[in-house]
Amino acid sequence: MKFKILVCCLSFGTALSLAASAQDHDHDGHHSTEPAHEDHSAHTDHADHDHGEMEHVSSASTGTHPGSDAHVRLTKTEDISAALAQGGEPIVADVMGVVCDFCALAMNKIFSKREEVAAVYVDLDTKALNLVLTPGATMSDETIAELAVQAGYRIAAVRRGDEALGQAS
Amino acid sequence: MKASLAGLALLSMLVNSFASARPVSYTGGWTFIEESDRQASSALVHYTPAPSWSIGLRTEVNRESDFAVYSVHPTWLAKRWFGRDYQGNFYLHGGIGVASGINDNVLNDQTAVYGGVMADWETRSLFAGYRSRYLDAGHFGDQFMHAARMGFAPYEGDSGDLHTWLMLEIDHRPEHQDPVTATPLIRLFKGPLLLEMGYNLTVNQPLLNFTYRF
Repeated sequence: MKFKILVCCLSFGTALSLAASAQDHDHDGHHSTEPAHEDHSAHTDHADHDHGEMEHVSSASTGTHPGSDAHVRLTKTEDISAALAQGGEPIVADVMGVVCDFCALAMNKIFSKREEVAAVYVDLDTKALNLVLTPGATMSDETIAELAVQAGYRIAAVRRGDEALGQAS
Repeated sequence: MKASLAGLALLSMLVNSFASARPVSYTGGWTFIEESDRQASSALVHYTPAPSWSIGLRTEVNRESDFAVYSVHPTWLAKRWFGRDYQGNFYLHGGIGVASGINDNVLNDQTAVYGGVMADWETRSLFAGYRSRYLDAGHFGDQFMHAARMGFAPYEGDSGDLHTWLMLEIDHRPEHQDPVTATPLIRLFKGPLLLEMGYNLTVNQPLLNFTYRF
């Protein structure tokens, strides 16, 4: 009897979760295969365009979102600074749901495996993924978004170059 | 029979516990989880082939009833909610395997199945979670448990820092002499390591959980 009750409960839970999945995933964003920021000048490798998930989070919807209003800058750790000195492109990506060290670990593991990435650091304080690419390498916004999904998370916005360094005019 | 097989299949699709603090890892990641509470001790090694599920091998020693369960243990991340400052997860967990007597228990081996749900919501300083599990181990018996946990972090550590959480877990096991018990615990978290140490105040039993992600 208990077994049947359990199966019923689990079936109900599964149905609920599937129903929830059919709805929009988040409170303040929506899915798109298009990035929030595109730097097409950096896209020389179109094979990288693998259409990962990325959140569009507007300043109107979030107010204090680091990708819109706060303009989180690149966090300069020792590795990040060394990679910058080598001439790699800096990238800052705002990450949704990154609240613990396991989250940071997952992002670090996934991104550090990529040849294009010279340095990676997830800053829990700013909720941002900080990347510096190897000199001459490129990584599209879609690739960054897809890699974040592989880690279990979602990108809200991507900034590059001077904007990532907080030096954009 | 078909209904039973369908039930088993459903259960085998289902997942596991607070200590896992993300029982599904990143794609390609491995995780080792040890748990020990007032009833049982267990070890689980799981692999995450995709961000929505993991599969592992689990051994559980039921100290009170002198039997062990050796199982294949899938976990499905059915839903993850993302926010700027929070994350919520809903998991289904389960397993199918063999139950064997240990110590002086001479009963024959039996097929064992279990399944349940787990949900959590957390920010960098607050945590709330719930989990349940039903185990059917044939003539070794069946067990149901569910537990809720709340916690807070007295400070917010950054990546690589030592993260500290203070938590309280209330569990309910209807078949037990003490069906409801309370366990305050401390969770220490640094990089790939997670350690939980607590003490069940109701039945005077320690709680020790350990997770390593690689």
